[in-house]
Amino acid sequence: MYLTLDHITKKFPGRGQEGIVAAVDDLSLEIGKGEFFTFLGPSGCGKTTTLRLIAGFEFPTSGHILLDGAQLEQVPPNKRDMAMVFQSYAIFPHLSVFENIAYGLRIKKLPSDEIRRRVGQIMAQTKLDGLENRMPNQMSGGQQQRVSLARALVIEPKVLLFDEPLSNLDAKLREEMRFEIRDLQHRLNITSIYVTHDQEEALALSDRIAIMNKGKLAQLGTPEEIYERPRSKFVADFIGLANFLPAQVQTIQDGRAFVRVGAHSLQVTALPNNTAGQAALIFVRPGDLEIAAETERENILEGKIIKATYLGEKIDYRVRVDETELRVQAAKGARRAAGEAVRLYLPPERAHLIDAE
Amino acid sequence: MHAAHTHHFMSASLPISTSARATSASLARRMREFRLIARDPVLLVGVLVASAFILTFIVWPLWRVIVQGFFTPAGEFSLQYFARYFEPSYARAYWDILGWTLEMGILTALGSTALGFLFAYTVVRCDIPFKGLVHALTLLPTISPPFAIALAAILLFGRSGFVTRDLLGMRFGPGINDIYGLDGIIFCQIITYFAITYLILRGLLERIDPSMEEAALSLGASKWHIFRTVTLPLMTPGIAAAFLLMFVESLADLGNPILIGGNITVLSTQIWIAVNGEHDLQKGAALSLVLLIPTLTVFVLQRYWVSRRSYIAVTGKPTSGAATFVKEPFVRWTFITLTTLTLLLIIALYATIFIGSITKLWGINNSLDLSHYEAVFKRGLEAILDTTFLAALATPLAGIAGVVIAFLVVRKTFSGKEAVDFMSNLGGAVPGTILGIGYILAFIRAPMFVVAIVYVALAYFFVSAVTPKTNLRWLIFGIGSLIGIALAWLSYDEKLRTTGAFNSLSGGLTWLPTLEPTQWLYLGVGILLTLALASLVFVEGKAKQRVFLLLVFMALYLLSRELVLWVTEPIAVWGRKQGGDYLPAVITTIASWIALVFQPPLAILGFTYLVLGGFIVGMWRARARLGAGVILLAVCCALTFYGEPLALVGSAYIVLAAYAVRSLPATVRASVASLQQIDPAIEEASTSLGGDAQHTFRRVTLPLILPAFIAGLIFSFARHMTSLSAIIFLTTPKWPILTALILSEVEQGGLSLAAAYSIVLIVIVLAAIGLLYLWAGRAFRVGSEITMGGG
Repeated sequence: MYLTLDHITKKFPGRGQEGIVAAVDDLSLEIGKGEFFTFLGPSGCGKTTTLRLIAGFEFPTSGHILLDGAQLEQVPPNKRDMAMVFQSYAIFPHLSVFENIAYGLRIKKLPSDEIRRRVGQIMAQTKLDGLENRMPNQMSGGQQQRVSLARALVIEPKVLLFDEPLSNLDAKLREEMRFEIRDLQHRLNITSIYVTHDQEEALALSDRIAIMNKGKLAQLGTPEEIYERPRSKFVADFIGLANFLPAQVQTIQDGRAFVRVGAHSLQVTALPNNTAGQAALIFVRPGDLEIAAETERENILEGKIIKATYLGEKIDYRVRVDETELRVQAAKGARRAAGEAVRLYLPPERAHLIDAE
Repeated sequence: MHAAHTHHFMSASLPISTSARATSASLARRMREFRLIARDPVLLVGVLVASAFILTFIVWPLWRVIVQGFFTPAGEFSLQYFARYFEPSYARAYWDILGWTLEMGILTALGSTALGFLFAYTVVRCDIPFKGLVHALTLLPTISPPFAIALAAILLFGRSGFVTRDLLGMRFGPGINDIYGLDGIIFCQIITYFAITYLILRGLLERIDPSMEEAALSLGASKWHIFRTVTLPLMTPGIAAAFLLMFVESLADLGNPILIGGNITVLSTQIWIAVNGEHDLQKGAALSLVLLIPTLTVFVLQRYWVSRRSYIAVTGKPTSGAATFVKEPFVRWTFITLTTLTLLLIIALYATIFIGSITKLWGINNSLDLSHYEAVFKRGLEAILDTTFLAALATPLAGIAGVVIAFLVVRKTFSGKEAVDFMSNLGGAVPGTILGIGYILAFIRAPMFVVAIVYVALAYFFVSAVTPKTNLRWLIFGIGSLIGIALAWLSYDEKLRTTGAFNSLSGGLTWLPTLEPTQWLYLGVGILLTLALASLVFVEGKAKQRVFLLLVFMALYLLSRELVLWVTEPIAVWGRKQGGDYLPAVITTIASWIALVFQPPLAILGFTYLVLGGFIVGMWRARARLGAGVILLAVCCALTFYGEPLALVGSAYIVLAAYAVRSLPATVRASVASLQQIDPAIEEASTSLGGDAQHTFRRVTLPLILPAFIAGLIFSFARHMTSLSAIIFLTTPKWPILTALILSEVEQGGLSLAAAYSIVLIVIVLAAIGLLYLWAGRAFRVGSEITMGGG
């Protein structure tokens, strides 16, 4: 593995009576060369602290960070050969675009024609051509972020670090930049570590995602694994919309778990850690529940519509099943009204069990 | 790291020892933190040098003042001067002085805060015409000598004053109330100091979001009601801060009470008389302590109480500039009229100084006469030149120290940061007289305690550059220091050998001969040059040239303190032979400046070489590094402990230090304010792109804070030129200081001469401000707008 975090803990002195707060708590993971790796989580989950530990701006309370097999503790941040793209862009306001991008190359004392060549090249790749002599305050937010990106890319670092780089951009630009970043990363094949609280961004960009909660790793996996098979209520809740139905596991057979929810008997996908007799929650996304025809008998939940909201492409229903309120997002089709009884089909392959907390 | 980890487990099993756990955990954290700082040599040097400067020139002198009040010159404990407050024969006079002092402080604070508020409100809210001019005129007293107003007041309202005698035809006899006295002092202090409250309150008013007042207006409140319930409460912390600051400023003032106090003595003048008239340092120190108590109380109050209660500074967001102006013509014109009248008074006061300076004999023979200026340049040329030179030399010192301290305080976390911040402000906040006495007490003899502490701290930095092994570090430290002390011992004469700090070593070192100062110097230069030659063999690669040149430079600079006399002496001799009234003085003065630059106190040189050495020695080849480390450390140690280290009284360096310390708070504050506006991510961006601390600071931080830095430099220079109380005890005939000279002229009755001096001083400060702006504008394009947000 290229970059290894080995039992990293970072504690900060807390305020007043709180004592010491662990921002990162015994985190271990490995990141491969050329991988696009994302730390995702709510604010305060320790993702930015982790990034800053990797960058060297913070020093771990315990644990080790290894890059290419070598320990990084004794290496100051400016010698780690990593470059960071900041949330606030952190463009040098007193330097022109060219000088901003050339900054790292000048520190390396490259000959000036080499600098010119490489800066020109990266400016073309980041669509900044012709803006060499602009000052940062004469540029839009998107352009500034491109400068910040170009400035980091041009020194060809071993690892590229992103600290919520798109969160200050408006929605449309954000989406555009997402693809550009992914594109550039693929082309240049630079190991990238990305921090964000935006799940869509994480899903669109990453090879793998680490979801963090309260300083700990909540789940690690590909975007698909994370979205389709969340292992905890926290992860399921954090990524996208989720329904949770309390259920009792009866038997497990051929990758299927047979469960009871109130009066309903259902089958869902069984995960390796499920056991018979366990109380658990059924996880299913609102878009995966279907409004079933009268004739369907398998895997049906019966309930009553409490509220129907028109969302444009689809309709959002709140359905009460026993004591639980479910969200269902169905195609427009035949509209149902609040108060109507409804039968919901639960596709077994799209639902699985997670631990009840 | 390890300790913290085991600790974690211990705490789980032993929840009882919470406090012990907390202490040892915090100790472990501090150690870790210190090691982290130690890994960033530039940061380590910054912390060490800043702490050393603060310890030597602020903490130690103040401590000496506090202690000295309790000890007789013979060193016996004594409370005699404190007891005087309770002795029948003295009590009356002592309590009277204290009472007058407090009365002066409170009334001046009230008056100047009110006047400052009037000006601030008029400028910000009443849309007064010629705002820029009003602003500039208001600030005039801050760049004048501290007694300019008193001088003008005497010329206008004194016994033969223009207004009192010529316009009103008053004749003064005994028992008639004249300008001299408490009311005169208060009047002069208010005019002298209100500009500071104006600046504070103006800043506050500008930051009050008009939408808050508009919100109140939309809720149906009347304008007066809004002022009372919204504007005023928002400003209360600022007003309180201004009041407290003025109180301290008034108590610290020496110039006005001396000039215009008449029969009234206040604490600051009492101290001055004790030291300058009675030559009783214990009395001066004891009274200083009495003065220090209210000053310190207010300083702490202001820092930890008032500033925490500020509502506005929290948001700190300048509003869109759409200030709401007072619309009622009555209110508006009342404010404008009062402000204009005050301004006219200020103009009249300054015009009086100018007219006074070109009048033959004020009040008696009012004919035009330029002879005073002739006299000024004849008698005071040296003082004018020396004061300007020292003030200018101290300006970058204060500026650099200010930026470094601000950078550490804002950007870095380290234990003792709060103390560094507090102490750096303290030196400028305590009354100058106290600092002056402290300097005499601290530097009349070698302050061995401080020299030793600073030496050990810097030597730690040095040896940590030599080797990472702790035991080896101590070994090098021990051997190097011992050889160094033996070398220093060579310079000691009989007296120092028996009474100096190392007299206990005399048994082992008596066989060492005493070297002549020049011989000793050549020895030091020789060792450094040998090291330089050795570096050609033992340093490799690109660093070789750098190390060699730096060592040669160090040797030559050391040598130059001797060689420079070969240059300056002939210049001085040649200068004295020149004709004309001014040329000889100018040439000899310049010669003494050159000597000054090349002859810093050896201890300071020793400290500087330790820091430089720390950077040099790391580049040597591993084996040779130990030897080079020991030798270089020994040289630095010898320089540090040569003769009587830091016995600075009488030299110009003590004036430089006093100047720098006095203006340090201003430069620190200016840099802190602008640093706080720079997103730390901008600096981190530079680091992550490969820039080390020094590169980042030079290429990113410094350009961004430059405008504030230049403003800080300007303020510093003005403060140096006009400072009186801090240097009045430190000035010597060899280095005459203008403000002290003006004071003695006034005391001798030369009012017109003093006026001419004052005008010259004001012109120099104005010229310096203009030059600095021009230079800054050309060299750094300061003034072109720079956004600090980073985006």
